[in-house]
Amino acid sequence: MNKITHPIAPEELMAYLDGELRADRATATAAHLGECAECQSTVAGFRGVSQILKTWKAELAESDMPQAIATALAESRPESRNVFPAWRSRRKNWIPRWPAAARVGAVVAIFLVVLGTLRFQTGLTGNVFSPHGRPVDYAVVNQPSDGQGETRTFAPAPLPPPPSAGPVQARDRHRLEQFAKLQSAPQVKFSQDQPSVERNLVAGPMIIRSAQLSLITKEFDKARANLEGILKRHRGYVGELKAGGSTGSGRTLTATLRVPADQLDATLTEVKTLGRVESESQSGQDVTSQYVDLQARLANARNTEQRLTDLLRNRTGKLSDVLEVEQELDRVRGEIEQMEAERKTMSNQVSYATLNATIAEDYKAQLQVVPPSTSTRLSNAAVEGYRSMADGVVSLALFLLSTGPSLLLWGVVLFLPARLVWKKVRRSFVS
Amino acid sequence: MISDEALMLDFQCGSHPAFEQLFARYRGPIYGFFRRRLQGDQRAEDLTQETFVAVIRASARYEPRALVRTYLYSIAMNLLAAERRKQFRDPPPGELAPEPVTNHAPDAALWIREALERLDDSEREILMLREYEQLSYAEIAELMKLPVNTVRSRLFRSRMALKGHLEPEQKSAEATATKGVAQSVKLTRAEGEAI
Repeated sequence: MNKITHPIAPEELMAYLDGELRADRATATAAHLGECAECQSTVAGFRGVSQILKTWKAELAESDMPQAIATALAESRPESRNVFPAWRSRRKNWIPRWPAAARVGAVVAIFLVVLGTLRFQTGLTGNVFSPHGRPVDYAVVNQPSDGQGETRTFAPAPLPPPPSAGPVQARDRHRLEQFAKLQSAPQVKFSQDQPSVERNLVAGPMIIRSAQLSLITKEFDKARANLEGILKRHRGYVGELKAGGSTGSGRTLTATLRVPADQLDATLTEVKTLGRVESESQSGQDVTSQYVDLQARLANARNTEQRLTDLLRNRTGKLSDVLEVEQELDRVRGEIEQMEAERKTMSNQVSYATLNATIAEDYKAQLQVVPPSTSTRLSNAAVEGYRSMADGVVSLALFLLSTGPSLLLWGVVLFLPARLVWKKVRRSFVS
Repeated sequence: MISDEALMLDFQCGSHPAFEQLFARYRGPIYGFFRRRLQGDQRAEDLTQETFVAVIRASARYEPRALVRTYLYSIAMNLLAAERRKQFRDPPPGELAPEPVTNHAPDAALWIREALERLDDSEREILMLREYEQLSYAEIAELMKLPVNTVRSRLFRSRMALKGHLEPEQKSAEATATKGVAQSVKLTRAEGEAI
């Protein structure tokens, strides 16, 4: 029995009837249908099914808008709706009439106006956009490292509660004002630093500043307390702090301080007053181009993510294709997170300068003027004598125990030869 | 003629006439959608109203990425699914409502409905969306969250199966009609002979 093979599958015939076939396949199908009686019969079958189905009608009598819909329509407030589509629908009427060059010109003009406005605002307000952090109090955790020194780890702690209500004395007024100022200061958070950094990016270069300072002071404790006061005044915080020292030498404090970049010079000036400056250095690293590059790569990655998301949402295809798109989306999202972390780190480094300070104590050796008493000296001598005797006995016991077995063995082995030798020697003396 | 999408955007701006025009365009099709899938024309009318009320309330969230037609039918499908869940939990008492009007005999609608009910649920829904709502394969795919090729193959299967279900019934209906005609001819001849 011969089996007829058709160039057009029955499913394609159905799609042809529904107008869902590609143009090239539709042409081929129409040509084939003109020749093939079997396919014509299949198509007639599909048409018959559709015609039968169309006999089932469900029509609604014409009437006014139902009350429920009219009420909902009356209650709907256009001002609460999204205004963007409205703008878009109006835009359709006039934007397409503009030539492309005019549209590009308009975009450039808007960009320049926005840029100019931002520069103007930054110049006027100065500190408004500068990255001020909130003053930080310190929670101190003592971790003794040795008998003499200690290492302290400082962590930001919440601000103290506001002063209790009551009659405000004149001397307290200043404190209250200071407190209110501190409360209104921005928090030390990278996310809040971001806008200021972005404005700095528009206004000027982005510099990561750092400084090293080495001091010697005679009043070590006072210098340390003053250092914390200086930090509070300039809204900085301690990254790391180590203090140590030993008997017979001066104490040393090594601290890594983070202060707002625009406060670095003022902080340095104050820290220098804590002692005699042994060495000082400052450095700055321009990261403007890196930051701009990072921002551009981040924007590109976000666009790619959006396109892939749209692709997943709107397109259909094979499972393998969908999985491939999802893998690509995961990769792009990972890159975005990594770049976002880099951007935040860079912003933080720019917003806060690093000051490495070392404060050493100017040590002076002191004479011991009071000698110990005779009874103490006798007592010490008795203790020393007893300790020497005990040490001698223990040492002898240890020697015997450690070398006794070896001595015994060699004694046994050498006894007879030694005895023979001794006898021979004695005989020779006798003879 | 203004497109559905333009009307919807105008309605987002607060144009009530735009909504009235959309309502006039889609009231009948949405009613037909519910009427063919549910028992009772009153419930179909209620759900049609609920569909348009939902459109009014959610108009702020509409974005012209999808056709308004697809958007409307997606709301209608959600309402239908909720209604079916409700009916499953709490079946309505009483007798069945009369079937919609047909051009054929009164039992034609029942005949088609019975043939459709013998299809798989998903295939029946795809077939009805194509035949009655006149949605394209891509629109059906979007509504049913299926790939377009799957929609096409299921539509093909459902049409072939429905053809098989309808043909025997059609033959018997035609046979009944032929028998009736023959009997009336025979009766006419007998009357003529008697005269």
